[in-house]
Order: sequence, then structure tokens, then C-alpha cells
Amino acid sequence: MSTPNLGRFSDPSILILASLAGGTKHGYAIMEDIETFAGTRPGPGTLYGAIARLEESGLIESLPSEERRRPYRLTAAGITFLREQLSSLGTFAALGLRRLANI
Amino acid sequence: MSKEKYLLHLYPRIWRARYEEELLAVLESCPLSFIDTIDIILNAIDAHLHPYLGARGMPLQERIILMLRTLRRSLIVLFCAYIGFVLAGLAFQKLTEYDDFVAAARAHSLIGTSFTLVVIGSVLALLAILAGGLPIAFAVVKDALATKRTGRLLLLAVPLLAFAALLGMTQGLGHTVVGNLPKPVAGMYFFGGFLALAVVSTASVCIAVARSTISDDLLRFAIFPSAVATISMLCMLLATIFWGLGLQSAVPQLFSGNDGIMGSSTSGTWLGIIAAMAISTAAAVVSLVRCLASRSAQYSVE
Repeated sequence: MSTPNLGRFSDPSILILASLAGGTKHGYAIMEDIETFAGTRPGPGTLYGAIARLEESGLIESLPSEERRRPYRLTAAGITFLREQLSSLGTFAALGLRRLANI
Repeated sequence: MSKEKYLLHLYPRIWRARYEEELLAVLESCPLSFIDTIDIILNAIDAHLHPYLGARGMPLQERIILMLRTLRRSLIVLFCAYIGFVLAGLAFQKLTEYDDFVAAARAHSLIGTSFTLVVIGSVLALLAILAGGLPIAFAVVKDALATKRTGRLLLLAVPLLAFAALLGMTQGLGHTVVGNLPKPVAGMYFFGGFLALAVVSTASVCIAVARSTISDDLLRFAIFPSAVATISMLCMLLATIFWGLGLQSAVPQLFSGNDGIMGSSTSGTWLGIIAAMAISTAAAVVSLVRCLASRSAQYSVE
């Protein structure tokens, strides 16, 4: 699968995918979760801009709505994509820490 | 209607059909701050630039039709933007035809070069619009003949009739009537008439294109010439800005004079032309982005 181009929504998208890695959530729960683990709160417009792109790219899918709220979950492609992105970030973080250890 | 619901009306219809209720539920869970309002407005603009967002759940055929419709509408808006730019360009041509401006263009390289760039840009944009538009115009004629809808042929004939009316205004009846009017009133008469004819002609062509069956390939083919026309418009806008700045620094007495349209100030006319060109170019850029987004969405589903 080719890497989806999420443009300026790349960062919020990773946060949303990481949030959904912890289980299915609807929009507001995703926002709250991101605030808890990342210390930043995406704006509602940005959140849904990223959700729309992730859904379009097939990285997440919606479940039947509960009243007005619609929960989302990761797809298989979304899990692979998130794993790749986090591994790459892990490699980058490890390299940075190794270099810092030599200072 | 709540403020939140009103704000969400800024989003495209397709997007709202898919996400409006959910986003409203989110907005009702937390107070809407000023920053959130700006965030929603910016993302509503983004949703307009990416018309495929929210169409994921649609049946494939419906989705392709939606993208083609978006492509056609965007091309029509781009054509209207081009006509708006041409009208501003005609005002610029009128402004620069006086001997003093011709002499300034010859004496000062910035003024001369930027004027030449406007001329080159106008030729390029015209060729691009003809390359993309003529096949579509032929398709409209073909469709009108095949379906025996002569009304559409009449719509396409409106620009020719408008041109004949313009000639009539300047040489026939208009000459005798206008000849007795004070100069500013006569100027307004021609300016208003010309503008009205341009609007009617453009609207007629757009309606004919909107109502006809045009193949997907022709619409897709028109994207590249549209991109060339848009880039040319952007270059002409920049060149016109530099022309005015060059005139202001090299020949300030000419820039601060009253050689503008209908005796208005030169600087005021120049600013008006810049504003009209900027609005037209912005509309063309937005339309082009929508064209490209709808084309890539079509490729992804086909």
C-alpha cells in the first residue's frame, strides 16, 4: 500500500491513529484522549479534517453511530501505517538520544 | 439556528451530510472558543478545496458523477474568473495607451518589462483558454444538435450578438445619442453597457456548458490549459503590480495624475485593476485546486 499523503494533517492524523490504537472512540473522546497523552488539543475543525482524510485513505473506518456520535476504529491498513510511522519515530528518537549521550 | 450550526454551514453540502451531526455533538460538548471558530472556518475552506472529503460512503458511480460535476463547475468558475481578469486587463490596456505611459515604458526598464510580461501573459492565457475551451464548445454544439436543443446554440450565440450590440453602441444609434451626452455620462454609458454585455455573454456560455453532455476526457483535458491560464494570470497580476510600483518610483507625477478610467486618478485606477485581477486570480487558483482534487479523486476510485 502506498503511503497516504496527509499534508498538513499529518501530525493530527498520527495522534488520532495513536488514540484509536487504544480502542474505538468517537470524535470528542479522541480529542480528550489526545489532550491526555500528548498534552495538545486539536481544534474541532482540524480533528474532523484529519478524520475525513484518514477515512478517505482507508486508515480508519466508522462504526454505526450511537445517537449522534459515530465511533471510529483503525483498519488493517491503519495499523500497518501507524506501526511504520511509530517505528520510524522510534528510530529517530533513539538516534537523537544516542547522540545526546555523547555530549 | 445555533452559532455552531451556522458555522458548519460554511462546509460543503457533501461534507455536512457525512460529518455535521458528529461535529455538532463535539461542539456541544465543549464551549466554542474564538480559536475553535477560526479553526472551523479554515477547515471549512480546506473542505471546499478538497471536494471528495465526505464522499467515502457514497456508491462508486455516484461518487464519480459527483467528482465530474465538481470538475465541470470548477472549470466554469475558472472561465468566469478569466473573463473577470480580461475585463481588468482591458482597463489596464486603456490606462497604458496614452503617449506618456508608452514613453515611460520605453524609458524605464521595470515599467517596460512588466508591461511586456502582461502582454505575453495575456496571449498565453488566451491560447490556453482556447485550447481547453474550444473542444468543450464544440461538444456543446454537437450535443445541442444531437438532442435538438437549439436553445443551447442560441446561448452560445449570445457573445456574438453582444459583440454586434457593442458595435451598434459605438457606431450606430449609440454614436448619435451619446454624442449629445456630457463626456462622463457617455463614458458611464459605454462602461456599463460593455460590462453588462460581458456578464450576459459569460453567463450564457456557462449555462450552455452546464446543461450539455460533455465527455469526461474533454473535461479532464481542460485541466492542463486551465493551469497554464491560471499561472499566466498570476504572472500578469505580479507584472501589473510591478508596473505600478515602477511608475510610482520612476515617474511619480504620472502616477499621481488623473489619467485613469473616466478621468479618475491613475493610482486609484491601478489599485482597482490590481484588486479585480487579484480577486479573479484567487478564484482561478481555488477552482484549479478543486479541479485537481476532483480529478485525483476520480483516478483513485476508477
